[in-house]
Amino acid sequence: MAQLPSPFISHTRKVCSLYKRALRALEDMNIKRHEYRYNAVLLRQRFEENRNIRDLRVAKELLLAAEEELFQNKHPDPSVFPNSPGGIAHGRFPVPPDSVMDFWDPIEKARYPKYFAEREKLKEEYVKLYKKLYANPPKSTEEVNPTK
Amino acid sequence: MASLAGVRILIRNTGKFRNPISRTCLRSTVTQLQSNERYFHCKRQSIVTLLPQGTRVKQVRQYSIAEPMSLDLIRKRVLLVLNLYDKIDPQKLSLDSHFINDLGLDSLDHIEVIMAIEDEFGFEIPDMDAEKLLRPTDIVRYVADRQDVYE
Repeated sequence: MAQLPSPFISHTRKVCSLYKRALRALEDMNIKRHEYRYNAVLLRQRFEENRNIRDLRVAKELLLAAEEELFQNKHPDPSVFPNSPGGIAHGRFPVPPDSVMDFWDPIEKARYPKYFAEREKLKEEYVKLYKKLYANPPKSTEEVNPTK
Repeated sequence: MASLAGVRILIRNTGKFRNPISRTCLRSTVTQLQSNERYFHCKRQSIVTLLPQGTRVKQVRQYSIAEPMSLDLIRKRVLLVLNLYDKIDPQKLSLDSHFINDLGLDSLDHIEVIMAIEDEFGFEIPDMDAEKLLRPTDIVRYVADRQDVYE
């Protein structure tokens, strides 16, 4: 994965991600809901104070400081959703790839005529969508690099 | 399953556990009890007759079984969550209203909404997907796709 170029992430999105992680961290630290809400409002206030900073250098420094603060204050055993990585049910039910259905025997397929008719329709729709998104591929290298 | 089997063994062996368990017996347990006859032998009759016959007990806890979902139910639950969020005006809210343009939320509010939806349905929504969920219909569609609900 390291070789894949990471997409550009805007500053706004970084701040949103930080806000979400900070709220989750608060949820971990404050078991009682009303204490969590109180701290969440305070956190929101801290974000609102720096809302109108237009200078990106200042904003970036603030963001890095906040990330550091979040790291220092994170919970040793944060609560995770069951199916998220690190959750108790993560990977419990392996999901077979959808293409498995195409390898069914025709006799097996005949037992579920409605589903497979629908499936063929969906596949056609997907091919249409793919062609619309990526257009038709060039047929030969001549088309891509015309020599003359 | 192992724990359920353990409970069944307790039902069979001890008289102490039999009464409280069968009194609070839930529907899915009932069907499982009825389907797995091999666990019962001769004691089957006595346990089944203890169950309330006329009224169905509504199941509150779904042990490892996910509750059945439908698009309508997801829609209702999403709207309920959004209605309870204090910065959204319930009068303006509809399935097609845009969070930022119509309802006047900002991006941090949107994050809070998405977190509320995560808590409601019990799975994580990554940031990449979350920023595309700008209308309640998008959320309904996303949740339905995640839960394999199409009707």
